Amino acid sequence: MKALTANRLTDGEVVFWRQGQWVEQFGDADLFADDDPAGEAAEGHAKNQPTVVVEPYLIDLVESAGLWAPLSYRERIRALGPSNLAHGKQTRGGAAIAALLHAHGAARSTGRVDLIKRK
Amino acid sequence: MYRYDQIDRDMLADRGAEFRGQVARRLAGELTEEEFKPLRLRNGLYLQLHAYMLRIAVPYGSLNPTQLRKLAWIGRTYDKGYGHFTTRTNLQFHWIRLADAPDIMDHLASVDMHAIQTSGNCIRNVTADPYAGATAEEIDDPRVWAEAIRQWSTVHPEFNWLPRKFKIAVTAAAKDRTAAKTHDIGLNLKRARDGSLGFEVMVGGGLGRTPYIAQTIRQFLPATRLISYLEGILRVYNRQGRRDNIHKARIKMVVAALGRDEFAAQVEAEWEKMGPGADLPDTELARIRGAFAPKTFETLPAVSEAFEAAKLATPAFARFARNNLKPHKVAGYSIVEISLKAIGATPGDATAEQMEAVADLAERFGQNDIRVTHEQNLVLPHVKLDDVPAVWAALADAGLATPNMNLVSDIIACPGLDYCALANARAISVAQHIAQKFADADRAEKVGELKVKISGCINACGHHHVGHIGILGVDKKGEEFYQLTLGGSAAEDAAVGQALGPALPYDKVAEAVDTLVETYLRERRDGERFLDTFRRTGVAPFKEAVYADVH
Repeated sequence: MKALTANRLTDGEVVFWRQGQWVEQFGDADLFADDDPAGEAAEGHAKNQPTVVVEPYLIDLVESAGLWAPLSYRERIRALGPSNLAHGKQTRGGAAIAALLHAHGAARSTGRVDLIKRK
Repeated sequence: MYRYDQIDRDMLADRGAEFRGQVARRLAGELTEEEFKPLRLRNGLYLQLHAYMLRIAVPYGSLNPTQLRKLAWIGRTYDKGYGHFTTRTNLQFHWIRLADAPDIMDHLASVDMHAIQTSGNCIRNVTADPYAGATAEEIDDPRVWAEAIRQWSTVHPEFNWLPRKFKIAVTAAAKDRTAAKTHDIGLNLKRARDGSLGFEVMVGGGLGRTPYIAQTIRQFLPATRLISYLEGILRVYNRQGRRDNIHKARIKMVVAALGRDEFAAQVEAEWEKMGPGADLPDTELARIRGAFAPKTFETLPAVSEAFEAAKLATPAFARFARNNLKPHKVAGYSIVEISLKAIGATPGDATAEQMEAVADLAERFGQNDIRVTHEQNLVLPHVKLDDVPAVWAALADAGLATPNMNLVSDIIACPGLDYCALANARAISVAQHIAQKFADADRAEKVGELKVKISGCINACGHHHVGHIGILGVDKKGEEFYQLTLGGSAAEDAAVGQALGPALPYDKVAEAVDTLVETYLRERRDGERFLDTFRRTGVAPFKEAVYADVH
């Protein structure tokens, strides 16, 4: 599964794609099957919103506690907030946040790989 | 400290208005992100993992209480109520909104501060000895020269698009508190037998992917010729530095490729072309020096009865005095170090309330002077010994009296993967775990001086190469791993650390540091610091102990 993420232009907030809009919580994001062309279509739409978001990209997901969570640790930190102080998105709590906190899995995030390629 | 004149203020006002226009054009879609990114970076504004990050320049780490209060106010108003002091003695806010950034710039300008040249391939914030003007060890006040460099390098048109970023440090004492030899240029003030001032000029130091210790290209440069000599170095670098490969673009690569002698010869040739006309006029140097006129100190006895009585009465105060006070050049005064490394806290972070508490103390007891150190701590450089008990009590109330300066829990850590878009692994939480292992203050004191430095990626913002114990976060197939190095030093005996062995997983790092410390305690001889023992024994006993435990 995949989700589409970006940073919002006005404040840098981590956001996720949901039915043509951007939401702040990963738990509210649209999920796309790996072979579902809707994911790439959404990414295409997002790239045409340069006054709304910066650098949208698809991230890989892994199953966690019966829900879905980003596969890469970096993306879980983006979805939760920093681990040194609980003052990011993790303050909302609930099952979706718990799934993120307990997720396991390892991979370089899609965004990170793109960053390396650009260098 | 130096105060801006009308030219400085006009320049900042123009720059602020320009930046406001750039942000408005980006928000309106008139600038693409690709076009806007270099413009915001020129003003210290990065886009990090969770928000924009604003890096504010603190020239040579000097702040007055008004400035620190303004930073506290910005933190409370536009961030989440805190800021992060960095190894470049800057302050970063990690939760900034793009739309607020122009207003923040105006607020900074109102207290003679800005974020210009805290990013980009230009001359960055110049750093200096945090004990400047307070230590008897110094030959001259390094801030005078650091300020001259600041004025010369600020929006200098010739050096605004260098091959890569460029960092300069100035020290004037034999004991180096600036990590001068890890800088692109390290300047060490010296006095000749005839009494004249000059600089030992060290060039080509740097950390990052390929660490180098700076090499001396001139033993004694007459101090009045500093600016033209710096121009000579920068011109050779601008001409010879690589622009085709970001990993080979720093001046250290030029010095390494040409060799020290050839590099020095090219600098001397360039310098001779310029002549003394390119230097600071004596009148201007005198004007700058006037801004750093020695403070007025009272004539006091060398021993303070109140201070001695407090040490006897309160063991916690005595511990603070042992670890956080340093000798002042004037009898009856002390340099007070303020640790931003409370056990379990984020290294370098200060809340708005803590910043205000330090500003208050600087006003009441510290001659309105505050310093930021490259080790992510603060300093009150001029406190009467009589007042130290009151300062300690107020620091304790603010959670700022941790008595761990230069001890194992006084850890440098970059923001790492918790905040930074470039990081591979977390650095802060590793520092927290290590500090918690050594929360017992008696044990930490028994271990003695031990510099642990942690970076979340190879860019080495946490100076891991020059840690007595260095820790580098790496990405191994998507998981956080950490490579340990031993024997590095950022001081006058600068050295790059030696790899310990294979990288360790996240949950084994603090335990490995504990093992390294136990090995040192077992191996050390009288008076040896961790670094001394390592230099005598080599890596073998440490490696054996850590990997015997891990496997």
